[in-house]
Amino acid sequence: MREKETTLYIGPQHPGITGNMMVKLKVTGDTIISSSTHVGYLHRAFEKLIEQRNWLQSFTILCRFCVPEPDPMELTYARAVEELEGREVPERAKYIRVMVMELARLQSFMLWYAGQSGSAGLYTLGQWSVGDRNYVLDLFEMLTGGRVYHMYIWPGGVRRDLPEGFKEKTLKTMDYLEKRLDQYNQMLFDNTIFQKRAQGVGVIPKDKAIEWGVVGAPLRGCGIKSDVRIDEPYEVYDKLDFIVPTAEGGDIWARALVRKEEIRQSISIIRQVLDKMPEGEYYNRVPNPMKWTIPAGQVYTRTESVRGEIGFYVASDGSDKPRRVHVKGAAYTHGVTVLDKVLKGQNIADVSFILNSLGVCPPEIER
Amino acid sequence: MSNDLVLENEILNLIKSAFNAEGNVIKSRRVEVFVKKDQVSSVLLFAKEQRGYIHLSHSTCIDWIEEGEFELIYSILSPKDKIMLYVKTRIDRDNPVMENLDGIWHQLNTYEREMREMYGIEFPGLIGDKEFCLEDWDEIPPMRRDFDTVEFARKTFYQRPGREDAKDVRKTLTEQSGEKIPDFATKYSRE
Repeated sequence: MREKETTLYIGPQHPGITGNMMVKLKVTGDTIISSSTHVGYLHRAFEKLIEQRNWLQSFTILCRFCVPEPDPMELTYARAVEELEGREVPERAKYIRVMVMELARLQSFMLWYAGQSGSAGLYTLGQWSVGDRNYVLDLFEMLTGGRVYHMYIWPGGVRRDLPEGFKEKTLKTMDYLEKRLDQYNQMLFDNTIFQKRAQGVGVIPKDKAIEWGVVGAPLRGCGIKSDVRIDEPYEVYDKLDFIVPTAEGGDIWARALVRKEEIRQSISIIRQVLDKMPEGEYYNRVPNPMKWTIPAGQVYTRTESVRGEIGFYVASDGSDKPRRVHVKGAAYTHGVTVLDKVLKGQNIADVSFILNSLGVCPPEIER
Repeated sequence: MSNDLVLENEILNLIKSAFNAEGNVIKSRRVEVFVKKDQVSSVLLFAKEQRGYIHLSHSTCIDWIEEGEFELIYSILSPKDKIMLYVKTRIDRDNPVMENLDGIWHQLNTYEREMREMYGIEFPGLIGDKEFCLEDWDEIPPMRRDFDTVEFARKTFYQRPGREDAKDVRKTLTEQSGEKIPDFATKYSRE
C-alpha cells in the first residue's frame, strides 16, 4: 500500500534546529523523500553593514556571524585586511592568535558535544560540556574582557598581551578538560543508543563530498584529509606539531570520531603555543582608524573552524571602507544543498541529529 | 608548496591560451582569470573536468556602480594542487543577466538565488523559490550600492511615542501628556 505523502515543517522555532531556519520535508510515514532549507528569519544584512563602516568598526559585526564561533571570523577578516595592506604581524601575536583560535575551537567542540548528544536524547553530557565550557569562557574573559564575543584579534596583531597568570590558568584548565574528555567519550561513544543512532546515518558519499562543497570534519569523516591549517598554513600552524584525524564511513559516527580526536589536538596545540610563544610586541598599531585607507585589491583568506572552512572575500577600492566583504561559512553548503541530499531517505527523528553533525549555523547562510 | 609558482602558471597559461583570456598569478596558490560572461561556463567546465578543480569554494558579486557593471567571481579549488582559481567576469549593471551555472555545481543554485535577490541579477532557467532571504521586498535589491539603508530605515520604521530623545521615557510621556506614569519599579520593589 502506498503511504500518503505529507509535508512537514521543522523550525524556525524548534529545539532540534541549530538556529533560526526551517527545513521543509516531504515524508511518507517517517521516511524523508525530499527536503529544502528555508532561511530568512535571521537576516541582518551584515555584509551590507560592513560596507558602511570603516575597516575597524566592522569587528563588532564580524564576531556575531555565528555565535558558537566568533573568533575565526575576526581572524579571517583581519588577515584579509593585513594582506591587502601588506601589514606585518608580530611573531608573538601570531602565537597568541593560534592560541585564541584553538581555545575558540575547544569551546565550540563543547557546544557540539551538547548538541550532538542532546539531539540523540542524551542530556547529561550536554549539561557537563556546557558547564565545562565556562572554564574556557573564563579564560576568554581574563584575556579579552568578553566571554562570548571578544573583538580581540585586530589587523596588525591582537589588542592586549596575555595578562599575568594567564598561562598557568590555561594550562590548569587544559589538564582539567583533558581528564573530563575521557568521561565525555565514555558517556557518548560507549553508549549503545548513540552508536545505533549515529552509525550509517546521514552518510555523505566519499566520491561526491568535495564536489558537493563539503568541508571540515564532515569531509574528514569521509576519509579525506583536508584542513586549511595544513593545506594552507596561516599564522604559526606550520611550526606546530599536530595531526589531522580522519575516519571512514561519511556518517555521523565518523564525523563524531574525527571531532573526538580533534579536541585532543586542540589541547595539544594550546600547550605547544604557550610553550613556544616568544616575547616581544603583540600589536603592529594601525593608523588613525577614521582616516585609515586600504589599497585597492581583492583577497580571499580562509581559516579552519570547528565546522569547516570559513573564508572572507574582501574587495577594497582604496577607500576607508571595504567595497565588498563576502563571508563564506561551512553552513552555506552544509545547511542547504548538502543537507537536501543527505536527508533523502532518512528518518524524521534524525533531522536534528544530522544538522548537528554537519555543523549547520543558520546566520552564516543569511549573513 | 611550490615556490616557483609552476602549477599556478600552468593553469593560468592553459586558460589564457584556450580561451584568449587575461589573468594573473596573484601569489602562491591564488590565480585569477578574467573572461567574457559567455565563456564562464566553458572555463569552469574545463577547470573542473580536465584540471581537477572540482570544489566550488564560493561565488560572489561586487557592485561597481561607477563603472555600470557587476563583477561576478567564481572561486574554485583544486584539492590536489591546493590552488584556488578565481574566474571573474563583468556584466552590464542595467541589464544584469548571467548564465545559470548550477548544472556544473549544484550549490551554485543557492549563490545564484541569493544574487538574484540581493543584486537583481537574472539567471534564466534558475529553479528555486523566488524568495531566498527576503520576503515581500519591493525596493531595489538591497545589496546594490545605491540602496540607501538609512533612508529605508527612516521610511519603514518609526519612533514609538516618548522615544524621540534620549531622556527617560516616563518623564517625556509625563511632560507630553501631563498624565502621571506609575513608577512600577518602586511599586513592585521587594525592599
